[in-house]
Amino acid sequence: MAGALFAPVAYFILSSVPIAAVGMSAIIIGFTCLALANARPYISPEACQLILKTGMENTASLLEELGLTGKAVYLPSAMRDGHPQALIPLMDDGNIQRLRGTIPGRLIVRYGVNPDDMAIAVTTPGSINIDMLATKPGPTAEEIEAAATYILTGVLDIASSVKVTMSGAQVVVEVSAPRLPYEDIWYYRCLGSPIASIVATISSEALQKPVRIKEESYSQSKSRIILEVLS
Amino acid sequence: MRIYNKYIISLALASGLINTALAFLEQTDLGLYFTVNIITYLVITLFYVYLNPRARGALNTVGVVFFAGFVVVIALKLMEIISG
Repeated sequence: MAGALFAPVAYFILSSVPIAAVGMSAIIIGFTCLALANARPYISPEACQLILKTGMENTASLLEELGLTGKAVYLPSAMRDGHPQALIPLMDDGNIQRLRGTIPGRLIVRYGVNPDDMAIAVTTPGSINIDMLATKPGPTAEEIEAAATYILTGVLDIASSVKVTMSGAQVVVEVSAPRLPYEDIWYYRCLGSPIASIVATISSEALQKPVRIKEESYSQSKSRIILEVLS
Repeated sequence: MRIYNKYIISLALASGLINTALAFLEQTDLGLYFTVNIITYLVITLFYVYLNPRARGALNTVGVVFFAGFVVVIALKLMEIISG
């Protein structure tokens, strides 16, 4: 608005082209700000946080009631009726290393051949976010990084940047300035923080293999997530 | 710093630098300032591919309007050159 007034004044009255150009630049930036302001989500961040917390508390209650302490395994959509989900083994020593075929779309599922190979399947923040990707990422570190950056930085705006490296059966993800860092609570111990959950789902979908969050640490406004790729 | 802040700051810095540089080169053609600023806007917007789809859609609309202005300036310049 100021630029729209300033540019003609500078050009016609002050007869200064450089000052008029500054006004013109202000108009360009003003229109850009206006466009970005109108692109804000329909639901306020507070409402989104409320919905996220409600879902997390419900899942946490279920985990606490069942006394589940095992780490969740993130499954690609191909292994779970077209919808990526996480499996939490019912037994403490539940070793989900080798999953057999497609897991049925129920809450309590059998994942192996032994009677104890039972787990609960839950939807995580990552399961929902995977649908926001226009195309599925490929199995390279660069493609996983691009997909994670798009979701975490562009769509959700909960991190500044993402760096992914792969070595053997490990995927190491470094997230700069995460705005939902790891907390030592039951839900996060089982399923990881929402950021780790999103990264694990993207990696699982990209590699078409089950993935487990092996380690998650936070230091100097940087989150380091180590994912273990299961066979 | 959030991606939107980075984007706006990079636009402001780039346009400030371009206007200063062109002023130092004693350019007095407003059309030149306009076209260089529009090209910079389009290039910087291209770099921010990770913006969310709604923001990208809105910026594309703004970009189309600016590009139309850019085409008009170029057309006027061409007519000026052809007519001598």
